[in-house]
Amino acid sequence: MTVSEVLIQGPDPEIDPEPRTGEVAGRSPMRIAMDRLLSDKVAMICAGIVLLFVLIAIFAPLLCKLFGVELRAGDPVTDTDSFNYPVIGPPNYGFTWEAPLGLEPNSGNDLLAEWFYGARTSLLVATIATVVSTVVGVVLGLIAGYSRGWGDRVITFMIDLFLTLPFLLVAIAISPMLVERWRENPTMLDNASLIALIVILSIFGWMGLARLIRGEVISLREREFIEAAHVLGMPTHRILFKELLPNLVAPIVVSFSLSLPATIAAEATLAYLGVGVTGRPSWGQTILRAQSWFDEYPLYLYAPIVGIVVLVFALNLLGDAIRDAFDPKSFR
Amino acid sequence: MIGFVVRRLISAVLVLFVISVAVVALFTYGPSDPADAMCPEPKCTAERQDAITEALNLDAPLHVQYTEYMTGIFKGREIAFGSESYDCEAPCFGVSFIYRVNVWDDIKDRIGPTVSVAVGAGVTILLIGVPIGMFAARRRGTSADKTVIGATLVIESIPYYLFVLLAFLYLAVSAGIFPQEGYHPLTDSPLKWAWGLLLPWLALGLVNSSKYARFTRGSMIEAFNQDYVRTARAKGLHERRIVNKHALRAAVVPIVTIFGIDFGALLTGTIFTELIFGIPGLGLRALNAVSQSDLPVIEATTLISALIIVVTNLLVDLFYSVLDPRVRLT
Repeated sequence: MTVSEVLIQGPDPEIDPEPRTGEVAGRSPMRIAMDRLLSDKVAMICAGIVLLFVLIAIFAPLLCKLFGVELRAGDPVTDTDSFNYPVIGPPNYGFTWEAPLGLEPNSGNDLLAEWFYGARTSLLVATIATVVSTVVGVVLGLIAGYSRGWGDRVITFMIDLFLTLPFLLVAIAISPMLVERWRENPTMLDNASLIALIVILSIFGWMGLARLIRGEVISLREREFIEAAHVLGMPTHRILFKELLPNLVAPIVVSFSLSLPATIAAEATLAYLGVGVTGRPSWGQTILRAQSWFDEYPLYLYAPIVGIVVLVFALNLLGDAIRDAFDPKSFR
Repeated sequence: MIGFVVRRLISAVLVLFVISVAVVALFTYGPSDPADAMCPEPKCTAERQDAITEALNLDAPLHVQYTEYMTGIFKGREIAFGSESYDCEAPCFGVSFIYRVNVWDDIKDRIGPTVSVAVGAGVTILLIGVPIGMFAARRRGTSADKTVIGATLVIESIPYYLFVLLAFLYLAVSAGIFPQEGYHPLTDSPLKWAWGLLLPWLALGLVNSSKYARFTRGSMIEAFNQDYVRTARAKGLHERRIVNKHALRAAVVPIVTIFGIDFGALLTGTIFTELIFGIPGLGLRALNAVSQSDLPVIEATTLISALIIVVTNLLVDLFYSVLDPRVRLT
């Protein structure tokens, strides 16, 4: 154990609201937060809902087989009538197990399969984009906070700059260009719009966390354990990632859990503008196509809306619970 | 104070400069060749492509293109576009590739609708959010408080475009309570203007107010715990006076700051509202321009939006520094 590690693990000022008998050994803040979270019923229900969505996303092909539906297999000629209405299921006929959520007007595609794969797109894009923006935010925040002078000034300026850019306008403006660029590479043909979307969501998602981390590091860098590490001759990257980073777990976890639902909503929002994923199922694009059918065929519109709202709501509540669990000041 | 203003001004100008360079660079050196992107393959001829390259002056180095663009904005310039030539007066943002009109003439009439939507929505946000937050703060811990705050969480989980879309579909299209075709200029008839924009204001206001309700609640609760509120209570002041005079005044400063920052985003984020309600604003124009790859219009709308955000942020900072002298130190 190095000197600095001894210094980090000073007396823990945190007092567990529910002291347990026979457990005197010190617990890490992470452990305390986890215990608090596990005893929070609302958080656990939300985690269950999120897990359900994750499982749906992962096992989308299997679920489609289970329900006997197939993705994008609709035939406009045989599956829709001359007015473009589906020939089975809603809106003109009753419920059928052949297509539990009905068929899409015009194309005849199965909406249940579309919904399962929509969950997959939504979670995939949001997770990758949030992970990338979290990593970028943490690294830039650490560097800005620890380096005094120019490094800090340049990164702070970049944060201000990205906060000034009108997100929606820039997103809709650069996305066709990015897609155009990657489309030339044949292996990326199908994924071009997906990657473009992830890039856009990532480059507009890191600023808040970078600012937060910078602030935390500025206050931490004056503490004794950092000074000790410095005196011991520890290289800077080790100080940043071995000494500072473990002390920043709480804000990083909280920020991640709160920006995930925001990214899911942003993905659906961009998809509605036609910027999002093309060529693969997406809740936002189903909503775009379904809006003119809202009166005759509400299920078409509401299936993806319910998906987005429930997922975002569960993630928001979970994020709030995680924030409370990490906050030593909050008592429930 | 003067030092603070100067520092903020320099930083604002620097941000705008970098954004304008980035905008010009992105569209000329960006991932795709604009001449290529603008030229749909079935219709594209070599002449058309050359005309586009020449009109954009794509072969020139960045600083030349940038100087040219900026000269256009401040002094105006001549734009040769194929065989035609356009006399583009300042502020010149170029000539639309699709409609062959001066971009500034095209978009200047669209600023009014966008500002109308944003200002109205901003007022609605405050009118809904702040009273709800105060209501919840005064009843902290009761079931009324929990219901209100729970409701704001639910509303916040609905992506705002869905909220606006559903409001439009049910209240305007289906029930016909509100007009569908939204916009009449204020100068024509203030009554028609307000009536047409009422639903967009309410929808945007309600969905964005949830954050303010929770923020006001937190801020008010903090104020209630302060010594001066206790003193006011001890003096036997009327509760309404304590809430409205003493606590609210302290609580409102951070709300104003956040609102100022959000307002800039609101001005550029009305795209959905404009799209759904068919309001002829900046966002709708930008959206059309993107689908048509009309680069000069995209450049102009991006720059104007960035300018609006920078100016609102600057005003908020200055306003805040007047309210709270500690800000000037950092």
